[in-house]
Amino acid sequence: MSEAAGATETILIVDDEESVRQTFREWLERGAIGCRILTAADAEAALTVANHQTIDLAILDWNLGAGNDGLQLLEDLYLFNPNVVAIMVTGFAHQATPLDAMRMGVRDYLDKNQDLDRDSFLRAVNRQLERIRPAKRERRLHEGLVAFREAVEMVLPLVRSAAALNDPVPLPVAIGSLFRFLVRTTGARDGVLLVRHYDAARQPPESCRAYTADGKSLEVDLAPFAHSLAGTVASLQEPYATERLDQAASSGSVELQPFERGRTSLLAAPLAVAPGVQVVLELFDKQSPTEPAFTAADRALAAAAAEFGAEMLRQALGEQQTHRLLLDAIGAALRASDRVAETLRSAVAERRDEPPAAVMEKLREGLRSTTGPDLDADESLRLMEAVRELAGRHGPPAVRHCTRLVQGVRDLLDSVAGVSEKEEGRPRARGPSQPSDAGEASRE
Amino acid sequence: MNDAPRHANERSVFDDVLALLSPAQLLRDPRATGEGVSVCVLDSGVERALLEQKFRARGQEIHRIEGAIFSPQQSEPLRYEGRQSTPHGTTVADIVLTLAPRVRLYSADVFGPQGSCDVEVVIRALHWAVDVWKCKVVNLSLGVPEQRLQQAHRRQQLLRAIEHAYFQDVLIFAAAHNEHPLTRSYPAAFAPPLISVDKALFADPLDFAYELREQVEFQAHGKGYFGPFANEPATSWAAPHLAGIAARLLSLRPSLKPFEMKAILYWMFQAANSNHADTEKRANPK
Repeated sequence: MSEAAGATETILIVDDEESVRQTFREWLERGAIGCRILTAADAEAALTVANHQTIDLAILDWNLGAGNDGLQLLEDLYLFNPNVVAIMVTGFAHQATPLDAMRMGVRDYLDKNQDLDRDSFLRAVNRQLERIRPAKRERRLHEGLVAFREAVEMVLPLVRSAAALNDPVPLPVAIGSLFRFLVRTTGARDGVLLVRHYDAARQPPESCRAYTADGKSLEVDLAPFAHSLAGTVASLQEPYATERLDQAASSGSVELQPFERGRTSLLAAPLAVAPGVQVVLELFDKQSPTEPAFTAADRALAAAAAEFGAEMLRQALGEQQTHRLLLDAIGAALRASDRVAETLRSAVAERRDEPPAAVMEKLREGLRSTTGPDLDADESLRLMEAVRELAGRHGPPAVRHCTRLVQGVRDLLDSVAGVSEKEEGRPRARGPSQPSDAGEASRE
Repeated sequence: MNDAPRHANERSVFDDVLALLSPAQLLRDPRATGEGVSVCVLDSGVERALLEQKFRARGQEIHRIEGAIFSPQQSEPLRYEGRQSTPHGTTVADIVLTLAPRVRLYSADVFGPQGSCDVEVVIRALHWAVDVWKCKVVNLSLGVPEQRLQQAHRRQQLLRAIEHAYFQDVLIFAAAHNEHPLTRSYPAAFAPPLISVDKALFADPLDFAYELREQVEFQAHGKGYFGPFANEPATSWAAPHLAGIAARLLSLRPSLKPFEMKAILYWMFQAANSNHADTEKRANPK
C-alpha cells in the first residue's frame, strides 16, 4: 500500500498478474496524482480491502482468473460504495456487456493489446479523478449538511418547547417564591403579579397577564395598562399603598382590574425590568388587627423585593433573548442549508455524467461486432445511456424494473408476431400493428 | 459711592418695597390664574377629556390641552390624541390646573406605550417644550434614580438640556426622590439651574417651604386631587404644586427669570414665616 501526503481519493488496482499490478502502481506513483494506491490480486482480497477502505476508483482486470470477472467484482464493490467508478483493463473490450458495465460504473476501457502505456493509463486515471473529486466534495458537503440538519432538528424541539420562550415575559420560579414570601411577610390576604408586555411590531402591541401568588395565570379580562393602578405605580417608580382602593377609580382616569374590585387596601410595587416590560406586584388587604394598613416597613420590604425581582426578570429576559437569537440562527442556518442542498441538486442534475467519447466509441464498436446489421448501434447506445441515467437517479431497482418492461414488450411482440423461441435471433417482421401493440405493452 | 458695609439687621430698599406686598396678595391676586403662561407637563400623558370635564363641572373653562408623544425610536414626536399612557400624568396635570386653571397646558408624554422613561427621550421632550412650544414652565415629576444614571456623559447631556432651558428663562420644577435625601434623583439633583421640590403636607396647597437640604431647595404640598394614589404623599404631586404657584406668579409678571422666581419664592416663604413669627410674638410678647 502506498499513500500520498494529503491524499483524499483511494485507487484500488486489481489484477491477478503481479507484474501488471506493480507496473500500474509505479505509473501512478510517478504520476504524482495525490491518491492512496492499494492493490489486490483477486476479488476476495479486493473485497477485504474495500471492507476497510472506501474505494473511489477501481482499476480492474476484466479476467481475474479463477472464474472471476472484473464486472462481478465491481458489482460487489458497488455494495461498499455506490459511487465507485471503474476503469476496466481488457484485451476484449467488445466482449464487455456494455449496459451492465455502464450501470455498474465502468467509465473507461483500457486495451492491454493496443494503446496501453504509461501516458494513456495516467490520462485515463486523471480523467476519472477530475470527475470523482468534485462529485466527492459535493457528496461530503451534502453529507455534512444532512448531518447538520439532523443535529439541528434534534435540538430544535427542545429549544421550541422551552416554556420561557413562548411567554412574552418569562417568569422564573424564584419570582413566585419571592412573591409568596412578600405576601406572608407583609400579612397581605393575597396578591397578584401583573405582567405587561408592549411590542409595537406585534398585533395587538400590548399583552397583559396576571398571575396569582401560586403562579397560576388568572383568566380574566384585564383593563388597559394606561388606565390601571399598575400603570400609575410604574410611573411613580416606587411602591405605593392606599387604604381607599374602592375610591381609586372614582376619578375616571383609572379602571380597576377584576381582581382589585372589592378590595380595601393595596400595596403595589413596580419592577423596573426593561422598556416595554412592566411588572407590578400587588398585595391586597393586610390582615393584622393591630396594623390594618400597609406600613412604611411593608413598602420598604416591597421596594427591596421589587429590586431583587426586577434583577431576576432581567436575567430571565436576557436568557430568553439568547434562546431567541439561537433559534433565529438555527432557522437561518436551516434555510441556508436548504438553499445549498437545492443548488447542489441542480448542479448535479445539470451536469450529465456522460461516459467519455472514447468509451462510447468502443462500446459502439462492440455492439456492431456482436449484433446483426438490423441493430442500430447509436440507437442502442441511446437506450443504454437512458438506462444508465435511470440507474444513477433511482438505483438498481429501477433498472430491474426497466429490464422487466423490455422483456415484457419483447414477449408481447413475439406473441403478436408469432415468433417462437427457436426463431429468436432472426430478423423480426415489422408489421403495421407493432406500434399500437408496443403502446399496450408500455401501458401494461 | 457709599462703600460702607451694611449691617445684617439693616433693612434694604427691597425690604421696604416687598413689605408693601404679602405672599397672599401675590398668590391670591385675581389675575394670578396662570393666564398667558405655557406649562409643559413632561410625564406619562394626560387624559384630556377627563380634565376638561372635571373643570367644566366646576365652572372653570380650561384651555385645550395640546401635546406630543416622545419615544426612543423616533426623533420626531408622535401625535398626541388626548390620551394618557398611565394615570400619573393626568394627576400631575390636574394639580397644575387646580392651582392655575388658565395656563396653556402641553403634555409631553415621555412614558409612552413602552412604559419607560429614557434620559434621551426626556432631553428631546425638554428641548421640544422649550424651543417649539415655547413653554415658560416645565414640570418634571418623572425622575431617574441616581443608580440608573451612572454614566457621566448621560448626566452631562441632561444637565446641558436643563441649562439650555435656564438660559431661555424657562423654569423647570423637578420632583426630588421620595426617599430624599437618602436617594438622589435626576434632574432634581441639578438644583441650581432648576427648582427641585420635595414633598411635605401643608394645610393650604398654595403654601410651600424653603428648605435647603441636599441640593433640594423647596417643599410643596405632596397630595393630589384626582386619580389613583393622589392621596398618598409623593414628590410627584409636590412638584406640580410649586409649578402651579409659579404659573400664578408668572401670569402677573411673565418675564420673570428662574433666579428671580427662586428669589421671590424664597422671599414669600420668609415673609410668610416672619409674619407668622410676628403674629406669634404679638400673641406671646414674652
